[in-house]
Amino acid sequence: MTRKSVFRDMDLCVNCKACVVACKVKHRSSPHVMGSIIAEPRGLNLIQVYPFGPEIKNDKVIQTFVGIACMHCEDAACLKVCPSSAIYKDPQTCITLVDKNRCLGCKACLWACPFGAPSYDENGKLALCDLCMDRLQEGKKPACEAACQARAIFIGSPEEIKELRSRAAVKRLAESIGQLGLG
Amino acid sequence: MSEKKIVKTTCKSCHGGCGCLVTVDDGVITYIEGDPDSLTKGTMCAKGLGSIQHINHPDRLRYPLKRVGARGEGKWQRTSWDEALELVTGKMRELIKKYGPNAICNTQGTGRGYNRYTARLGNSIGSANRGIGSSHTCYFPRLKAFEATFGVYRLYCDYHGWGGEYPKTHISWGKQLEYSNADGEQSVWFHEALKHAKNLILVDPRATAIANRANLWLQIRPGTDAALALGMMHVIINESLYDKEFVSNWTYGFNQLRERVQEYTPARASEITWIPEEKIIRAARMFALDTPGVIQTGEALDATNNSTGTARAVMCLMAITGNVERPGSMMSWMAPPTGPIALFGTELEGNVSPENLAKGIGLDKHKCMDFGRCHTQTAMKQLREGTCDMKMLHEHGGNLLFSIANTPGTREALLNLEFISVAEQFMSSLAEIADVVLPVAHWLEEEDIWDEHAGFYVGAVNRVVNPPGEAWTTAKVYYELGRRVAPKFWPWKTLEGMFDYQLKKANVTWKEFSKLGCLATKGKDQKYYKYKTDFWVKGGGFPTPTKKVELYSTVHEKLGYDPLPAYVEPNESYYSTPELAKEYPLILSTGGRIPFYFHTQYSNIPWLRELGHYPRVQIHPETADRHGIKEGDWVWIESPRGRIRQRANLFAGMDPRLVIVQASFCYWEKQGAEKLLTSNANVLTSDDGPYDGPAGSTSLRALLCKIYKAEGKDDTEVRFS
Repeated sequence: MTRKSVFRDMDLCVNCKACVVACKVKHRSSPHVMGSIIAEPRGLNLIQVYPFGPEIKNDKVIQTFVGIACMHCEDAACLKVCPSSAIYKDPQTCITLVDKNRCLGCKACLWACPFGAPSYDENGKLALCDLCMDRLQEGKKPACEAACQARAIFIGSPEEIKELRSRAAVKRLAESIGQLGLG
Repeated sequence: MSEKKIVKTTCKSCHGGCGCLVTVDDGVITYIEGDPDSLTKGTMCAKGLGSIQHINHPDRLRYPLKRVGARGEGKWQRTSWDEALELVTGKMRELIKKYGPNAICNTQGTGRGYNRYTARLGNSIGSANRGIGSSHTCYFPRLKAFEATFGVYRLYCDYHGWGGEYPKTHISWGKQLEYSNADGEQSVWFHEALKHAKNLILVDPRATAIANRANLWLQIRPGTDAALALGMMHVIINESLYDKEFVSNWTYGFNQLRERVQEYTPARASEITWIPEEKIIRAARMFALDTPGVIQTGEALDATNNSTGTARAVMCLMAITGNVERPGSMMSWMAPPTGPIALFGTELEGNVSPENLAKGIGLDKHKCMDFGRCHTQTAMKQLREGTCDMKMLHEHGGNLLFSIANTPGTREALLNLEFISVAEQFMSSLAEIADVVLPVAHWLEEEDIWDEHAGFYVGAVNRVVNPPGEAWTTAKVYYELGRRVAPKFWPWKTLEGMFDYQLKKANVTWKEFSKLGCLATKGKDQKYYKYKTDFWVKGGGFPTPTKKVELYSTVHEKLGYDPLPAYVEPNESYYSTPELAKEYPLILSTGGRIPFYFHTQYSNIPWLRELGHYPRVQIHPETADRHGIKEGDWVWIESPRGRIRQRANLFAGMDPRLVIVQASFCYWEKQGAEKLLTSNANVLTSDDGPYDGPAGSTSLRALLCKIYKAEGKDDTEVRFS
């Protein structure tokens, strides 16, 4: 497998929570009991969607939704600060993984992560998105990407993400200068 | 060795239709995901994915129950299916003998691809009073307006590009198809079509999740949609931007429509709708010029006291811009090889005698009820007065106590029925006041043919696991009831025989269909411009009395209604009830929908409830500030009818005068009054008229209210008065 990166399109996400539940189905990251209905804190989410806005400025709506989960950073801050070396990288895919046996539950990774992505399981140990590595190995999309009706999630190599973004930019540019279809 | 298998089936967590793959390991469901090879391309929503926690839910109903205490007391005795069915059908027979078939109302909720069974059972009994529910404020006013205008039951947005073009201009009108919709399977098609679109016009009081992408957001005052559509047509007609070829060849009554829209200048429309005049004009030009275009309409159009006028105005807007039957516009899809599967229910329409039909409740005033048949609000009024012909309610998967206006009044009405039986998965508020409760299977436990609303495909619902206890599938409940009460119309020896009968036109058996998974008419098999062929009318035309798109409805004229679309001010508003507005100074809409709940469903599914523990009322930050309300505070919302509490969600994307409560929130973990009344939006709504003429709709999206902070979470006991 090649290196994997995540692209979540903040313009397309509609905050429907399908990725959140797809992730729970995949990782069973929440107690399967009625008690959890009312219990707070809530169950564990490896991905959570946060709204920003709406703000209305000059008749323009600023409202966006962002799914926050592990970004699988190349030079991951969490990995560097982890005192017990519980966080490591899959050499092939660059996916960030956790060795729960080594994790102390100290939360230093939460201090370090600029996205606030780390979640912690019922034992207080780090739980991270693993990009559904097993599904990737079977040639399937990760659970969140597969479920997303808004098609706002894309997981692929950095080159593929660049290609996707560049093509979208070209379309926008072409439309805005009225040259579409004339080339 | 564990036995592992993957079952291909069709999700019915809303009306549904998403293809899915379910992994079963030794009889336990271990995984659920979308089927990438299905029409929904592997996508699924939170509701469908949450099903995995539905199956072994400890509160599922497992055995038939009969009431032993007083109604609503919660004392039940387990009984056998034989006895339970005999109690239900015995009562039906007794009441038919005593009062005639109209005494029996056999109805359903939103339905999960089983509308045809409810219809068939009602028709086989011969009752004109089948189908009470919320259909008069949801979907049916639009369907009947489509039928009056185009002669076909509904036109759908062509998101598929099968004709070589995608919509260039989308209008999303009182709808959040992007994340919350009864036909969730359409969501992915909408999202993908948006990628091909040039313009998106959003008509909504709120900045919904797609507002950031809209070229134009028409921030409308709730309940005034007809005025907007009429104002847009004023621009399109007077600036001569309409599709002249289509209008002159294929529409009826354009001159009368032209005359009618003259009342609605953009200035007047702006005054009514609170949308700046300039934006109405821009929207009109954009929709008329950048074609093809589609209008995706939502329930907001139905839940007003002018539902038919509103829907008709929007449909005339589709027609005069020529956005009918052309690729990338509004389409009437051709049925799958099975034919329209709804025929299984409607083929027996003739079994309701003209005499009984004439006595259908409320049909003298509201003549366009059709599937809904009798008028729910008239029935509730008559039940409270003790003058109602309806004596028994058999409800399958619905809950009138949440879905229609005036919850306390509805409860009072229903308690006057002689008999209530409810088929359900959980002990709903309606089941709590029933005499017999029948346990029903979840879709992962069912075998059935699923019928899509848009009408171009049917899907196989295949059993993944067995139902809990003695719960039966929906099809089996209807089949067994039908066989007992009207055996002539339910002649099949087995349930499978009943499925085979429904599939016979496609020349497949249930066993074959179950393996196929889906039968669809799609791609090149769909025909565009059907009105130019003999498809509906020999020599071309639409299946209406004039063979044209009726801008001026001869059907409505004959029935004594306004043949042209018009605007009517909401029953309760700053303008129609200014005195009341002094005490209740905020506009109340009950249109708040949550993408991981479907009506009352799923607030008992842990993974979904975690995402929204308590119902949320949206309040503008300025308004909240004036009332000393902060994010997350418990807030009382009070209307002239009553009050409920929800938690504050400060939301700047709407007019500060507007308050939007979350609809249908059920506290499944509680019982009785607390479960039903605490946060239920319909405690606030009114079931008093005047109603919409043809469809009998009530206003649920434009009422008046006041708000104030609730001190403490449970500062008042909730109980039935």
